[in-house]
Amino acid sequence: MQLRKPGKTMDKPTSQTWIMRVWFLALAMLIMFFHLLPLDTLPRRWAPPDLLIAFVFAWALRRPDFVPVLSIAAVMLMADLMFQRPPGLLALLVLLGTENLRLRFAGLRDASFAGEWISVCIVLVAITVANRLVLALLAVQQAPLGLSLMQMLMTIAVYPLVVFITQSLFGVRTLAPSDADARAARA
Amino acid sequence: MAKDRSQRDDYTGPLRRLLLGVVCLCLLAVFLVWRIDSPRVERFRAQVTDTVVPSMGWAMAPVTGFVNLVRDFQSYQRLADQNRELRSELRQMRAWKEAALQLEQENARLLDLNNVRLDPRLTFVTGVVLADSGSPFRQSVLLNVGARDGIMDGWAAMDGIGLVGRISGTGKNTARVILLTDASSSVPALVQPAGQSALVAGDNTPAPLIDFLENRDLIRPGDRVVSSGDGGVFPAGLLIGQIAVDSAGRLRVRLSADYERLKFLRVLRHLGTEAVTDPGNIVLSDPDATAQAGEDDG
Repeated sequence: MQLRKPGKTMDKPTSQTWIMRVWFLALAMLIMFFHLLPLDTLPRRWAPPDLLIAFVFAWALRRPDFVPVLSIAAVMLMADLMFQRPPGLLALLVLLGTENLRLRFAGLRDASFAGEWISVCIVLVAITVANRLVLALLAVQQAPLGLSLMQMLMTIAVYPLVVFITQSLFGVRTLAPSDADARAARA
Repeated sequence: MAKDRSQRDDYTGPLRRLLLGVVCLCLLAVFLVWRIDSPRVERFRAQVTDTVVPSMGWAMAPVTGFVNLVRDFQSYQRLADQNRELRSELRQMRAWKEAALQLEQENARLLDLNNVRLDPRLTFVTGVVLADSGSPFRQSVLLNVGARDGIMDGWAAMDGIGLVGRISGTGKNTARVILLTDASSSVPALVQPAGQSALVAGDNTPAPLIDFLENRDLIRPGDRVVSSGDGGVFPAGLLIGQIAVDSAGRLRVRLSADYERLKFLRVLRHLGTEAVTDPGNIVLSDPDATAQAGEDDG
């Protein structure tokens, strides 16, 4: 039962893993690109969902090896810099949130989607609250409360769609037991 | 079950945990450094934007153009209504045009009589809007002119008609304009014709608030708001907009610049407002100064 040593799959990422890692970075760049398009220079009364965070969660919960710590940190720090947010804070919170989700869900192939969604909700609420709390403690000027709440709710609402796109378009699915065995045999 | 646990172990190996800790500490350090020494990190941010965004420019322009094309196409559905509105507006405009022509002639005559030269030092650099702030919480745009073109922090940016914002953050090839609608923007202004000075403070809505007004009773909706030049922030007399009253009874500015389509912006070169420092030497109290003035005359 313990023939396979733990850590083997992480030590030898296959070329497919690297391709998917690059895909993730490309996806993040694409999302940022569309955010930066100068389409709406008038202040908006609504806030769009934070697709970047939703995709990070969806990928990390399915295939953690496609989104290593460094790439999450790099993407979120880049987003902080580009979107005029306090650099580092949201990146840190998203990283911790992803880690929390990973520890709870990694390997639980039979976990239902409802359970996953609820945990993602909790983590998103925690990130929003912690973000506002830290900014308030350090007396940094903040976005209006209504807008950040709206963004949080929109992100929660759009999460199932993001998961659907992740699974169908990018083919990022939780490894089925047979796949895992096949990979182990190859390694 | 054993397999599950082993897979879980893959992702929590000691090396991985160390990496996670180091990355988290780095992010925390970045945030704290930003909080302590904000200008330096903001300069770094400007440099990052400066390298990343212009390289996306080749793709941004066509995509933006395409989206705007689709939007315009959607607006064809409302064309009939628009046409009727435009017609009635045109009738009003004809009357205004007559008045404007007369005023223009009169103005030219008066300027000629007075031999007025408009400020020759007020020149401008025109830039194209590359990107917006990317977040619904901040209102700013990125221009394709930067330190290379001599742009400096604090200069005013206008579209053809009114003030749009001020430069804040310049890279080599790009400069960020904080719009008047951003929550961190406030500009000293003058309300004409009452001559009341006030602050135009953005609050993330399309119409910024009027703040620190001396006497509200003297001001009516429709009054012109221009920059006052107080504090040397902007050149005086740039048109900002018109006074309007919102549903809560607060005074706001309806901006003259067309914020829906910011494409080309003019950045005004502003080399500082000259200050009057001496009393004018009309009444001379100092005898030495009198003697010197006499010598100069002689």
